Amino acid sequence: MLSKSQARAFFLGGTFLFSAIFVFLTVDTLRQTDSRTNAQNITEDVLKGKEIWEKNNCMGCHTLLGEGAYYAPDLTKVVERRGATWIDVFLDDPQAMFPGERKMVKYNFTKEEKGQVIAFLDWVGKIDANGWPPKPNIPIDSIVTSPAPQIKSNVVALSQPEKFSQLCVACHAVGGKGGNVGPALDHVGSKFDSDYLNRWLSDPQAIKPGTNMPKLPLTDPERKDIVTYLSALK
Amino acid sequence: MRFQSQKVAYWFFATCMLLLSLQIVYGFIMGFARIGMDGLHDYIPFNTARATHTNLLVVWLLTGFMGAAYYIIPEESDRELYSVKLAYIQLISWVVVGVIAIIGFHFNWWEGRKFLEIPRPLDYLVVVNVLTFLFNIAMTIWEAKKRSTTQLVLFFGLLCAALLYLPGMIYFDNQTLDSYFRWWVVHLWVEGVWELIMGGILAFLLIKLTGVDREVIEKWLYVVVGLTFLSGILGTGHHYYWIGTPKYWLMVGGIFSALEPLAFLGMAIWALNMYRKKGKNHPNKIALYWTLGSAMMSFIGAGFLGFAHTWPAVNQWTHGTLITAMHGHLAFWGAYAMLVLAVISYAMPNLTGRKLFTGMSGYLAFWASNIGMLGMTGALAVAGIAQVYLERKLGMDFLVVQKEIEFHFVGMLLAATLFTVGITYFIVDFIRHGLPSNEALGKNVGDLD
Repeated sequence: MLSKSQARAFFLGGTFLFSAIFVFLTVDTLRQTDSRTNAQNITEDVLKGKEIWEKNNCMGCHTLLGEGAYYAPDLTKVVERRGATWIDVFLDDPQAMFPGERKMVKYNFTKEEKGQVIAFLDWVGKIDANGWPPKPNIPIDSIVTSPAPQIKSNVVALSQPEKFSQLCVACHAVGGKGGNVGPALDHVGSKFDSDYLNRWLSDPQAIKPGTNMPKLPLTDPERKDIVTYLSALK
Repeated sequence: MRFQSQKVAYWFFATCMLLLSLQIVYGFIMGFARIGMDGLHDYIPFNTARATHTNLLVVWLLTGFMGAAYYIIPEESDRELYSVKLAYIQLISWVVVGVIAIIGFHFNWWEGRKFLEIPRPLDYLVVVNVLTFLFNIAMTIWEAKKRSTTQLVLFFGLLCAALLYLPGMIYFDNQTLDSYFRWWVVHLWVEGVWELIMGGILAFLLIKLTGVDREVIEKWLYVVVGLTFLSGILGTGHHYYWIGTPKYWLMVGGIFSALEPLAFLGMAIWALNMYRKKGKNHPNKIALYWTLGSAMMSFIGAGFLGFAHTWPAVNQWTHGTLITAMHGHLAFWGAYAMLVLAVISYAMPNLTGRKLFTGMSGYLAFWASNIGMLGMTGALAVAGIAQVYLERKLGMDFLVVQKEIEFHFVGMLLAATLFTVGITYFIVDFIRHGLPSNEALGKNVGDLD
């Protein structure tokens, strides 16, 4: 059986050997980090964004590269998923975008700060993270036995305005694609005329006080485009 | 208690009890927030509750380790502590820094790096504080006539814990490196040097409680901590899979993480074997319960549940989900929380001369808190597995999935209530022991060595 001095030698030898390997691998990791993380893209804005991220302990709710608090979504690929415009609107009043859901602190970031946060998240999303996060591998279609009901709407008639696909789809679905926070908009054109839709988009609260629909920052032409598009969904 | 200066440990233990209670309060705030009852959102948003909850955990465990060291080192060194005054100064400043940090969290003042949220200026104070502590312990050992393995392993563990705090204080522009070196603190603490501290404390308790020959226990102490470092150092790799580091970490992290349970298994077998070989019965059964319980629960929580999701092919789905929270709860409870409670259970009768371990309340504390913690872990496990399937495998939206698993947090809150009942019993017992008394000097209750 092992003697005490042999046991000590096992402890000291093992510790020394594995520490040495660990230091060696760390040096090699440091050597590769710049290219794997696109360090050349770490701009002033990205650094400022990281500072804002840390100063407000965003990781106390959110998760980034899978590290965080699991209370709010992982933001590794958020820029790819939602787009910069949506995040920009969302940060102004997070609760307005997800009414009645899990709450996020309203930080009152300036336009510039929001841009920096987005720049940071955009850079993080492009880190080579060995293929993480994985794509869902049991597509919902494959476990639904009956074919999904075909939603009939003339989506094809008009392509979605850019702002619509950046903002509205986060809550509303068209042709089965989009969020389910607000109602699906497949036949909205036959329910409301364009004048009503226009007034609704200008100020939802004025038409239906207490509604969950936020007032979105849309320019006149953008709103007009969306109204035209919605009117065509019959 | 053999030495007057061991009394200082009492105040560290009392601080532990206070911080643990506070940690539980913040845990409840988070639990209720998860079932949609987040009325405190405007005052204590989730990120504040979370930072407070985890930092309190770290601080109360470290306070417990310090208390344990102040209790164990004089006895192992067979002399009084180098400076009692320094120990009190250190405790008071430690508490002050902790209180400032926690208040700061409520005013959005922090560093925002998971587990290392304490703001930078306070980091420096922590370093000074820990150096003071180590100086006191080192001088006590240095001037002692007696050297023991237990004493040295414990000291080496505490020293490494202090040194490994430093990489967490370097600033990196690159998020990947930031994360890389943050794990040098967090992982190498809990899956490395803290286990050394754990081994040292466990060895001390086993020597006292089982009466098995010191040489035998200390030989196995070397084997156990050897296994810890053998697997734990490169096991850090399991945090490096998906943060932008080279692919070889998948293999290195995977293999060595798979070996990590061995250290905990070794710890459990070691403790149980020493118990089996015991010469005669120590009257303080409660301390023995916590000691053996810690060895076994750390194997289940840290070893087995860690093993369950560190293999890369599994981890790519479970990474960043409630599965991690599940493992975290039982791991910290089994390995470190129970161990600190074991030291406290062992030391209190010796410090105060009161043999409260004869009553029922000690057993109630043990069983209620353990069953409660297992229940919480179970609730998190079910929620976590559901989350992995719905969110990761099926690609459902994060918030939709959270709604689906909300129910499990009702279960978690119920289990947490049972846990709290257990801890309340423990704390009431602690208070009933009263203050350390000079009458208890010179003798330990029922020691076998």
